[in-house]
Amino acid sequence: MQPTFNPDTSAWNDVIIFDRFSVNSGKPILRGDIVSLRDPIRYKRTIVKRVVAVSGDVVKTLPPYLQPEVLIPEGHIWVEGDEPFHSLDSNSFGPIPLALVDAKLRYIVWPLHRLGSSRRPETIARERQQQSRVTKVPSTSCHNSGVTQSSDS
Amino acid sequence: MTTLPWMHQAKFLLRKFGLGCLHAVNFVCAFHLFKENIGSPCLMDGPSMFPTFDVNGEIAIECILAYRLFPDSVRGELVSLKSPFNPNRIVCKRVIGLAGDTICVDPTGLKAPSTEHVVVPEGHVWVAGDNTSCSIDSRDYGPVSMALIRGKIVARVYPFDRFQIFIPGVTYVDQINSSYKCDGDGKGNNAGS
Repeated sequence: MQPTFNPDTSAWNDVIIFDRFSVNSGKPILRGDIVSLRDPIRYKRTIVKRVVAVSGDVVKTLPPYLQPEVLIPEGHIWVEGDEPFHSLDSNSFGPIPLALVDAKLRYIVWPLHRLGSSRRPETIARERQQQSRVTKVPSTSCHNSGVTQSSDS
Repeated sequence: MTTLPWMHQAKFLLRKFGLGCLHAVNFVCAFHLFKENIGSPCLMDGPSMFPTFDVNGEIAIECILAYRLFPDSVRGELVSLKSPFNPNRIVCKRVIGLAGDTICVDPTGLKAPSTEHVVVPEGHVWVAGDNTSCSIDSRDYGPVSMALIRGKIVARVYPFDRFQIFIPGVTYVDQINSSYKCDGDGKGNNAGS
């Protein structure tokens, strides 16, 4: 996540605030949000990634992934780091179940000159580039739509 | 000015009420911590684990601490996990394959051709319900990450006459074959639990 957090110009490690309540209370996760999630492979670690696509979208994948395009299944998201090719993200392990998402990033609080929202001007271009690979579905919600599963213990 | 006797009483009642509220909050917090970190009884619902658990009305003990302390799964044990399709659902399934195993996706051929095999990736397990015809499990969503597993189902406590402690035990296909003096390679294909 290098241009967003800990850019080369800062002498400090960033301190950021995550919002677990909005994830637990069932608010939908949108494209472009930064989330922290449990690493699906080394399951004790937590990683921070940007949501690129939500369920129903079709994503053009990047090299480590085997298929050139993937449809995100129900209840899943596609996450990527902001620094391409230096990030272990959905291009390595595929779509992520929403249940792995732990919290959503709200604010950067330290260093003070970067205080504020997580939408950084320097990452907008990167975000746009990520979004250009996504074919979106009309409805933007991914959390509350289509949870009509049959009863299943 | 003299204090009236009812004021003493009101003060006493108010203090009692405040302490009661504090105790209630304390109890709720302790209960929540216990439920989320150590374990709790939970009501089983749904047909997917049918011979093991009835369709409804049975209570099992979910032990979260056991999973936190010993996260290595064993083939055949019952686990509770967050459903990959819906993060608000907690489902109970049986672990069939561990990381590195080769799994036949669906030996019955209902949801996938019975010749399709996958290798479970690192950090994942393959889970299945006991009632194959009526279960949404790894045949639908593939191998699940161990980060999704919440705890282990250790015992059934209600109804009392069906009390049972679940001890993971699997019968491997090659063991059955060897008793018939066949040399079958049943590596990981023990999906018929």
